[in-house]
Formats: sequence, structure tokens, C-alpha cells
Amino acid sequence: MKNQNIFGASLSRRRFVKAGGALFVGFGLAGVDGLNNTARAATTMKNTLDASLPESWIEIHPDNTILIRTGKNDFGQSTTFTAYRQIVAEELSASLDSITTVVAGDTDRTPDGSGAFDFLGSGMPNIRKAAAYTYQALLDLASQRLRIPKNQITVRDGVVSGGGKSITYGQLVQGQQLKLTIPVKGDLLSPMGLVVDGNPPMKPVSQYTIIGKSSPNYITAQKVTAKANWATDVRLPGMLHARMVHPKSLGSTLVSVGTLDRAKYPNAQVIVKGNLVGVVAPTEWEAIRASQQVAAGTKWRDWKGLPGHARLFDYLKRDADWKTTRVTKSEKSKGDVAPAMSAAAKKLNATYQLPYMKHAPMGPTVAVADVRADGNIYIYTHNQNPQALRGQIAQMLSISPDNVIVRAAAGPGHYGRSNGGNAGAEDEAVILSKAVGKPVRVQWMRPEDFQWSTQSPAAYSDVEVGLDANGRITAYQINHYMPAMQDDRPIGAVLAGLPTMPAPNENGVFIGSTVNDIQDPWIYDGVSTVLEQGYGTFQLGQKASPLAVGLRDHSMRTPGQFQQNFPRELAISEAAALAGADPIQFRIDHTKEERAIGVLKAVRDASGWETRPAPRSKREGAVLHGQGVSVMFRSATFWACVAHIAVTPATGAIKVEKVTVAVDPGVVVNPMQLKRQVEGGTVMGVSIALLEELQFDESAITSRDWRGYPILKMADIPEINVVILNKPEVGTYGGGSEAANALAAPAIAAALFDATGKVVRRLPLKPEYVLPVLKA
Amino acid sequence: MATIVVNGVKREVQAPLDTPLLYVLRNDLELTGPQFGCGLSQCGACSVLLDGKEIRSCTTLLSLAAGKEVTTLEGLPARWAKQKGLSAADAEKTLHPVQQAWIQEQTPLCGFCQNGMMIKATELLEQKPSPTVQEIKEAFTTSGPSAHLCRCGSYTAIIQAVQLASRIMANGGKA
Repeated sequence: MKNQNIFGASLSRRRFVKAGGALFVGFGLAGVDGLNNTARAATTMKNTLDASLPESWIEIHPDNTILIRTGKNDFGQSTTFTAYRQIVAEELSASLDSITTVVAGDTDRTPDGSGAFDFLGSGMPNIRKAAAYTYQALLDLASQRLRIPKNQITVRDGVVSGGGKSITYGQLVQGQQLKLTIPVKGDLLSPMGLVVDGNPPMKPVSQYTIIGKSSPNYITAQKVTAKANWATDVRLPGMLHARMVHPKSLGSTLVSVGTLDRAKYPNAQVIVKGNLVGVVAPTEWEAIRASQQVAAGTKWRDWKGLPGHARLFDYLKRDADWKTTRVTKSEKSKGDVAPAMSAAAKKLNATYQLPYMKHAPMGPTVAVADVRADGNIYIYTHNQNPQALRGQIAQMLSISPDNVIVRAAAGPGHYGRSNGGNAGAEDEAVILSKAVGKPVRVQWMRPEDFQWSTQSPAAYSDVEVGLDANGRITAYQINHYMPAMQDDRPIGAVLAGLPTMPAPNENGVFIGSTVNDIQDPWIYDGVSTVLEQGYGTFQLGQKASPLAVGLRDHSMRTPGQFQQNFPRELAISEAAALAGADPIQFRIDHTKEERAIGVLKAVRDASGWETRPAPRSKREGAVLHGQGVSVMFRSATFWACVAHIAVTPATGAIKVEKVTVAVDPGVVVNPMQLKRQVEGGTVMGVSIALLEELQFDESAITSRDWRGYPILKMADIPEINVVILNKPEVGTYGGGSEAANALAAPAIAAALFDATGKVVRRLPLKPEYVLPVLKA
Repeated sequence: MATIVVNGVKREVQAPLDTPLLYVLRNDLELTGPQFGCGLSQCGACSVLLDGKEIRSCTTLLSLAAGKEVTTLEGLPARWAKQKGLSAADAEKTLHPVQQAWIQEQTPLCGFCQNGMMIKATELLEQKPSPTVQEIKEAFTTSGPSAHLCRCGSYTAIIQAVQLASRIMANGGKA
């Protein structure tokens, strides 16, 4: 059989085989223009799925079962186990149940890399295109086998029919080893991984039968019966348990290591490399006890290079360097704001502040590394970007990524913390395993996970809004200030003085930069002059830290956009009050975007919203009630949220009574999973609105545990109503796992204003910050 | 060294008596339902039942569990089967109503905390077969050494799953 060209992919029969056989869909580079050398090198690496190998995206087996592969590792979004199976089944016109296996994350068993974010790729995840190419190849095969033209073929539940004949996909591939080569671009080891290229024909949304229905996540049953493969469960023969002795502060270098009490801990061993100190032992309890004993005797230099959280916003305003880094401007900026602002009849001028927050996964980071005598390194972990981790470990040891294999397992949600590669413990496990010549399991303890992991950066924004005499916004300017958002350097490598990527800097590319991009798409296109600017700076204390550590940051759910949407949406609510307008109608009146209007109307109808200006006129009593709204566009999805709260003016305590969220992702893939994601995100949103703020002093993070970093408890959750708007005509699948977390805070702050007439422009809305404003 | 009864089976354990039960369960007995979340009794990820009461295995020393009956997530089906007097054959095919409800309601997001949530739900429903929403919230927030924490925010789904589990139990184990 000659190579066939299928919309840019090519199909060939590699050889006939006597038994078995399968259609393997892989990716190839032949004939694809515009590929950089890295992509070429990455896909020909050892221990990588390669275009010339049969392992691939999708395997159709003779028994009619189908296996799919994705580099994206699940973190509770469920997309890989639910939506991806639905999408592949839909594009192949196969049954959902025929897709029996999802292989995800493992660097030697999955094709495309990238991270556990943007799973639906605004409607075009890699797996969808791979499935679309596969479907075309199957049609060609069936056309030849059944001897009927391709356009006379119909497919239903994996059975191909035409001309009175029919054949299953399994029968079609039986006895043949076929390979479909499809075009890809990108860099396997980069944060974004490889992207499937080209434009294969897609099944029209109007013909969908599987997408749009709730399907359960099959991993759930494994998790609730203790049969899931968790990274915490990995045990290798001869494996040692390890605990780290991390420095006293974020800038403390090592003076001397404590002496191990060999009488008490006869099997333990201390390993030191630079400022990295670890203790290994055959049992976990001995490793813990021995590491505590060593830690007590270990001496570190003092360091004080942080402003401390009490002085944080003073520091950011007065002392931080906002000049070195290029200032960004949004694409939606337009017109001349300054004259419009000075001509305004009414003006709002305000500053909004957001604290450092922790991703705070329920389980501290854990990893097992096995540095083998043959030079291969196996890492078993739970991280959001296994291929990027592979590159980081190779860089750390100055070896080829060929020799690094990352196996991904289940674990606690990270909410972005490990989407650039490491989750925290992997590099330390590798360093220790290499030192002892055995597999080593590094488990961080709870305080370490708070004190040595990255955080979501603090931010503040200066906003100016001008309104005309009719209450319309005529000028809007916002300047966002935020330190670098993504430091992907493995911390163990930094402490050990081993090679890493540079810390975020003004010349860094993409996410390794201090540049503060505009992340929150402007949706009020009815405003005539708009200026949105982003100012970036270095991570706090990092340049001054002798360890080059300081307060390391990392993107967290709705990264950057949360920090920008909170000030924008609260300011819009305040502007509505200046205009004497209802906050929902005010928003509707300033946008032409139909989907934004759609979610605003939906949330107004579903929430019991009272249409009137804020603040409410009656503001007396021991407990006051208020309503507030917020809106956001993210990952091809429109969101609106209404919060109803009760506030006790005497104490400043806020109880969020009800949150209503309307979500329009375009095509809804799986309503039940989407609803659960939105409910969960909303709970996190209330938590960050009311409670969450990293505590740190001049040396270190002082939030050490769940008492020092409280999150929302079950008794304090609001009633949550989720309104899902299915818009098949939009044609894309918008994201639904994040953004829900970002909606509550601006809506709750607006509700506080509605209830009291006072605006608290600082998160979290805890009594310590709320009460002084109410009393003022 | 100690003898403990785990999920109905007597087990001899070689670990030192000051070892927290969690490490004994996970490393010596290969029962990986309970998770290490904090080691401080602050989150509930490590919960097990000790003589029917929810405790935090991360801070409960092996010596305190000696001679007592431990039930882990793995042991919930057998616990239910025993309570209902099911035959060995039926017990094999049975999930605890709490587990059934957790699946049906698609409760877990990442699922890391859900071991403790299901253990807490089991303790609650054994004491109060038809809890109100308020009683469910109190059970998961104030009844133990700390609230049971979920970072993914699955609390709404947990409440619904507890209510469903209550109905399944009242129906003799049938969903």
C-alpha cells in the first residue's frame, strides 16, 4: 500500500501480521514545515514515544477496545478520564465504553507532554485532532476493504457500514499493523509540550451523541475503594525513606550539619550536598526521627531579606523595582484615556491589594527516584508536567533527557503549583538516590510543604474610572503590579548548587520572565477609552538571598487573571454605584458581548438578585445582608457569579450564604463533571476571599500548617447553585476546572459594599481588615 | 512489636511501639487507603476507625492501637457485610453504602482527602442513620480533633453523598 495523504497526515501499512494487529496512531515530523530543532530532537529521543514506533495516541485493538494516551496527568479535573474519552469516542463514532484505557502522564508512554491545565484547549485538545485523523484513516481503510466510496460509509458505535456490508473497527485492523503519521509542532520538554497540527475534518457538533452527556469518572471507584495508584504508594525493592533538613530561612546557608546519633538510629545516613541536607533510612519512622535529631543540631546562618507580610504592600509600592521589567499593555487598550478622564463628571480612584496565597495541596509533595547503574533515572511522582520535569532533572545532572523517565501517579490537587515541571521533592529524591545508589523516597512534612513550596504572588492594582453625567464609563485605566509568577527551578537543585534554569528575570522568555502580562480579557467594549498596563518585578528576597531562593512564586488557578479580575470587577461594581445603577445592568450596558450578557442575565435570574443600585438603602441592624456580582472570560468560557452574604458590623465577620454561578463554556462536554468542578472551585473561591493569606516574617514563611494557613471548612460553605448554559452553536469546548475559584472574591467584596456602604479593597476579607473599614 | 486487629484480621507488627499507626498501616501492612496529609491531626486524610471511632492514624501511636480493632478504607465492605450478616460470597461483591454513594455522586475531585471523609461518614451514619445537613456539617467540622479539610472544595458533594449513603443503608445496602 502506498502512503496515503489524509488532510496532511499520512497512512501506511507497515507490514502484515498473522495475529493480533492494531491501528497505531503516532505523530511524525516528515514533511512538516516550521518545526524547530528542539521538536525534532525531542521526538527522536530515547524513552520517548516516537513517530517511527507503534506506540502512540490511540490504539484500536482487534477486540474493538481502544486505548488513548495523553501527556496530561489528572489532578482532580477528571477530564482525561471523562471528557477525553467522550471526545475520542465522538470523533471516532465509537461507543464510550469501547475506550477502556487512558494512559496519562508517563513520559515514556505518552506522546505530547504539556501540563495539567487547559485540558480542553479551547475546544481543540491534541487528543481530539488525533482522533479526527484516526477516523479519516479508518474510513480510508474501510473504503478499500468494503470496496465502496468513502462518502457512502456510515459509522456507528465502531461499526463501519456501506453498500450492504459492515465491519467493526477491530476487524478492520485485525491482522494488520498500520501506522498513521500526523503532523505535530512544538517542544516536548517545554511547558506547553507538543501540539497536533493541521486541520483534519471534525464531526459537526450538531451530530454529537456522546459529548454533552454526563459520564462518570472511572477512577472514582478506584479511589473510593483504595485501589488507585497514588504516588504516595510507590515502594521499590531496596528503597530507602528520606526526610529533608531544609534551611532555617529562605536565605540561610549551611554552617554545620548536626551529628547523627548512631546508637539511636543505626541504619540512618546523612547526605549533604551544598546547602542540601537529607537523611535516609530503611524505615520511614527512623528517617523521620533521625532527620529531626540531625535538624536540631544543624546550624544555619541567619538571614533577613524579606519585608514581612505586615509591610508587604508598603514594600511593593515604595521599594520594589518596577522599572527594570518591560511594561505591558493590553490589546484591548484603546483611545486617549487622559483627556477623557479629566473630562469625566465622576471619578473612582482606588487601589486594590491581594496577598500571597498557597496552593496548599492536601498532601505534601512526595517522590521516589531510582538512579540506576545503567545511567537511567526513573522518577515516580505526582506532578502536572512530567515531560518538563524530565528536562529539569536532565539539566540538573547535565545528562541527556534520554536517560530520564518520569512515571506519573495520582496525588493531591496542585492547582498549578507543578505545571511547570517539578512538584518539589523529585530533584531531592534524585540527588539522594544518586548518592546512596538505591531508590529513595522523599516525603516532605507538612511545615516544609508550606515553607519550601512556591506561592501565588501578591499583587496590587491602581484603578481609575471616569464616568460621564449619564453614568456611562468614558475612561478606564488600570495598572497591575505583580512580582514574577512562575519560578520552575527545582528547589533541591538550587540548594545543592546544581544547574537549573535561571530565576525569573526581565530577559526571561515566556513564563520564566518578570513581565506582568494582561491576563484578564477586557469585556466592556462599550467603554471608549481603555488603558490596561502590567508592571512586573523580581520575586521578593530572591536576589538578596545567598541561596537565591526568597519567596518563590508559582501560577495558581486562574493565575494572574485572578489578581487582575478582582480589582477590575470590584472597581466596576463601585463605578456602578457612582452611576446610581444596578451592578448587573451596568455591566450589561457596557458590553456588546452576547455571551457575557447571557451569563449575567442567567445569574440574575437564578440567584434571586434584587435589581437596584448598591449599597442597599437600609443598612441597620446587628447583621446586614448584601448582594454582589462578578464576571470573567477565561479559556473560551464566560462566567458570572452572584454572592449573597451576611455581615456582622460589630465583629467584621462575613458569612457567605449563597453563591450562584452561571457558566457558558460553549459546548458542554460533561455536565455532571462540570458542575462538580464549579462547586469545588466556588468553595476554594470563598476560602481565598475570606481566609487565605500567607504569613511571613523577614526570614521565612511562618504559615507552617493548617492553623497558620486556614482554609474553608464544611460548616462555612454557602449554598451553591450552578447554572450551566450549553451553547453548541459556539462550537468550542471552554475550560471549566478553573475560573470558578476566582469569581467569588470580587462578588463577595461587592456584596460587603452593598450591605454596609463601605468598600474593603484588600483580600482576604477577614475581620482584621474588614472591621477598621466598617468603623472608619 | 504489637498485635492489632485490622479489618477483622489479627496482625503481628514488628514496628517500634512509638511508630504512628499510619506508617504501620501503609508500610508494614500495605493498607494505602489512609493518606499522609499533615502528621498533625489537622486535616483528617489519615483517618481510620479504632473500635468504631474515627481517629487520626498520623498521631496515634501503635501502642495505643494494640489490642484494638482498626478499620481502614479497605475494610469498609467487610465491616458492612458483617453488620448485615451477608454471606462470604455476597460480601465479596459488596461495597459499603458510603463507597457506593461516593461513586454515584462522583464526590472526589483529586480524592486525596476522601479516605478520611468516608471514614468520618461511616462513623456518623453508624451513630446517626439519618443525619440532618446541620449534623453532617458538624460531624465533618467540629466533632473530631480538627475539621476534615478538602482543598478541592468537594464539601457540597460530600453532604449529598452522605445523604445518599443514608438512604442506601436504610434500603439494606441497595442503591
